[in-house]
Amino acid sequence: MKPTLILVGADKGGVGKTTVARSLLDYFARKNVLTRAFDTENPRGSLHRFYPAITEIVDLGNVAHQMRILDTMETANVPVTIVDLKAGNLSYSLDLFERIGVLEAARNGMFTLGLFHVVGPSIASLDEIGEIAKYLTGMQYVVARNSINETNFFEWDEATYRKYFSQIAKTQEINVPKLNEMAYEQVDVAGVTFKDFIDNRAADGSQGKFSFVLRGYVRKWCSEIDAEFAHVKMLQDVLSGGRQQ
Amino acid sequence: MATSPTVHIICSDQHRNGKTLLARVLVDFLMLDGRDPFCIDTDAPDGPLRAFFPGRTALADFAAIQGQMKLFDTILAAPGRDYVIDLPARHTERFFQTARDLDFFAECHRCGFRVFVFFIVDNSFPSLKAAYALQREPGVDLFVPVRNMLVRSHWPENEGALTIPFLAAPIASAISNRRFSLREFVNGDPQGLAPDLVRELQAFLYEVLNSLNGLEPVRALGGPGEA
Repeated sequence: MKPTLILVGADKGGVGKTTVARSLLDYFARKNVLTRAFDTENPRGSLHRFYPAITEIVDLGNVAHQMRILDTMETANVPVTIVDLKAGNLSYSLDLFERIGVLEAARNGMFTLGLFHVVGPSIASLDEIGEIAKYLTGMQYVVARNSINETNFFEWDEATYRKYFSQIAKTQEINVPKLNEMAYEQVDVAGVTFKDFIDNRAADGSQGKFSFVLRGYVRKWCSEIDAEFAHVKMLQDVLSGGRQQ
Repeated sequence: MATSPTVHIICSDQHRNGKTLLARVLVDFLMLDGRDPFCIDTDAPDGPLRAFFPGRTALADFAAIQGQMKLFDTILAAPGRDYVIDLPARHTERFFQTARDLDFFAECHRCGFRVFVFFIVDNSFPSLKAAYALQREPGVDLFVPVRNMLVRSHWPENEGALTIPFLAAPIASAISNRRFSLREFVNGDPQGLAPDLVRELQAFLYEVLNSLNGLEPVRALGGPGEA
């Protein structure tokens, strides 16, 4: 099966990119699919905090770091590579990948390339869709509407919302469900994966002392996310070992 | 009554139909039986059950996640004893939905608990409908429909139920004093109650306690849903 490279990004900050990247890593872990991740939040690394064993912090502007991601996709023997793009860097990263031939390689079928574009409920966030449209040929494009901050997308006029999507063919949409704030915070404070939190496992591998209630809320949220991911062709292709391709 | 640690949930879809009275009798019954029940009163901020058992009751506002944590986490963190949850009508639906979402009853079973639900079926069709729906709730080991003769009930006469007999107003008033202990009354202390009221309260408690005592053998006979 061809390797799969999934970019997770947005040009707007605070819309939940890392949450979506974490959800994807968790999803694959629960499905027993090996993954590796690159965190471009250089040098701090927000994704790295939750997945230190499989995440490298990289600077996308650095050629050596670009090679670490792209030149190892075949040799790493890991079917899925996830890149969490730094806030505000989506357009920049796509432009960079276009210039260095990454997008062209994907169009030629060397690997499967997907983009999870995380959008919040603002026109600025939606405008991004139009801005990046030119890069999307040959890429599986997923718009992740994130309601994690108690926002409601349907506050908008749906016709306006659809106008943005009409610019792009074959857009897939998912809704990132809302996770209870306290549960989200506790996972964050614990610095563990969603899966480990549900399993009551602390960051050092010992038995955790997490609230049953909060674990339950996270478990329910994960099952809701799973239901959303079940509609994403690229993810299902990975799970089925490429048979659907 | 149950020999394994049991989570008793006292609820109804309607308010003011004797939930707290039943919870109170149940707590006293368990204590008379030598058990050490702990109560969770979700009727915050008033806490009517807590007023009677201040030393063994946690007050949890189920509308807030902190209250849900107080309820569920308290029970699961200290298994091995009985719990009595007094749910006001406004929290009943949400409680069972949350329990479903969190898989609470399965977790109770993993911790060695049994789950008993006492549902007071009010005198209305919606209440009967709610009772039938709850009777099918997965994970509940024993569903006990309750008829309170004071408010009457839509529960069919020919189907078994735990019955709370009519309680005359003077007795209801006397025992509503938080200093009045039903347990001490059963143990022979009338606590100033007039002799005629003593007899009436004795008859009331005899019937309720006897019904509670009969729950365990009924369940052992494979008659869940009947009391």
